[in-house]
Amino acid sequence: MNDEFEFYAIDPAREPSERAEIKAFLAKSGLTYEDGIEIFVLGRQGRRLIACGGLEQNIVKCVATDPLFRGESLSLTIVNEVINLAYERGHSHLFLYTRPNNIAFFAGCGFYSIVEVPGMVTLMENTPIGIRRYCDGLKKLRQPGARIGAAVINANPFTRGHRYLIEQAVAASDWLHLFVVAEDASFFPYRDRFQLIKAGVEGIERLTLHPGSEYMVSRATFSSYFFKEKNVVGDCFTAVDLLIFRDWIAPALGITHRFVGTEPFCRTTNKYNLDMKYWLQADLSAAPPVNVVEIERTAQDARAISASEVRRLLRSGDFDRIGKLVPPTTYELLWSKYRTAADGASADAAA
Amino acid sequence: MKIVKEAIAGTLESSDVQVKVAPSEGTLEVVVKSEVEHQFGAQIRAVVNDTLGRLAVSEGIVLVEDKGALDCTLRARVQTAVLRGGAVKDLDWSVL
Repeated sequence: MNDEFEFYAIDPAREPSERAEIKAFLAKSGLTYEDGIEIFVLGRQGRRLIACGGLEQNIVKCVATDPLFRGESLSLTIVNEVINLAYERGHSHLFLYTRPNNIAFFAGCGFYSIVEVPGMVTLMENTPIGIRRYCDGLKKLRQPGARIGAAVINANPFTRGHRYLIEQAVAASDWLHLFVVAEDASFFPYRDRFQLIKAGVEGIERLTLHPGSEYMVSRATFSSYFFKEKNVVGDCFTAVDLLIFRDWIAPALGITHRFVGTEPFCRTTNKYNLDMKYWLQADLSAAPPVNVVEIERTAQDARAISASEVRRLLRSGDFDRIGKLVPPTTYELLWSKYRTAADGASADAAA
Repeated sequence: MKIVKEAIAGTLESSDVQVKVAPSEGTLEVVVKSEVEHQFGAQIRAVVNDTLGRLAVSEGIVLVEDKGALDCTLRARVQTAVLRGGAVKDLDWSVL
């Protein structure tokens, strides 16, 4: 049956007419084309487009088959082609988001569920031992105690405010597990952020610093295409991220409390903290609830210290003020790597 | 043979098997998922382990996603995945 089908891959950025054809084809299946997709595998019968599957980094997206041809084989083949293509591109560990009613199909394609937001979205990966192995590694880092805390920080960059929050969290716990967001979507790249955090928590005991992992959901690649009402995209993203934490990471480390700073400047983060209380504490998962503890940020000159404030000051070159908000280790890096020529002149004058 | 990079062989079509290998230090982990686990799980594992043994694979992660493959198909896919993922210096084809 498959002899009559032809499969090939295209770069949608370079093939505008095929891209338009794919858009229309996806629309018939109720899916929206996603601009971030780097490569598409197409299946044609003669000239007729009957199947497609896209790839954005290591996320499988926009898999669709013509209803007339629907049946195990064609859909399986297109997913297989996408997987092989991904391997060629160096991505062997793949993720995908799908509606829960498609879980059975993708399970047949070798994908395994990580978490499910009931009725909305499921995150899957193409190995049965992905998140399990990650958690097995975490289990080795378990610490004894009745109150085991966790915190996730981006630290863009690490400030005195972060240090304060971490000290408060450690003081309120028998041990604190600190996770660093691995996504490189911030002004400061992951490597710098991690180094600054590492230097910044020097001397704090009863703390384990965890590098970021693939299981911290990336907002950039989160699939939004199959949500008809776009305003639930953010909620679903948050839900997936928090469910992974509650169902997998917290049990592996025996985490009982999650610490988070109050967020006066950023409405998105504020909403996130509210969602966190829901997904981590409500009776909606077999995994035990995790208590969410909000810590008031520390203030400098009556304004809460925040990384966005530091970035704003960096843009205006106000290094005097920056020095009050960040520890010396962070100041060093900002001064040596991130100041512009204009700042140099004003700082030399002050020195 | 040492598995030095990730590799894949086979498809998920009915009667086939998809085998994925990846490097690992010190241990050999074989994970088998099969539609006929109950009836043939043990047999599948035996064939996979035997094939790995003949190729002298002692370290690595081997994931087998079986869709009802015969032993000969299983052997062929395991061999291909290992050869694709391995550092092939002097291969003795007679042992395969």
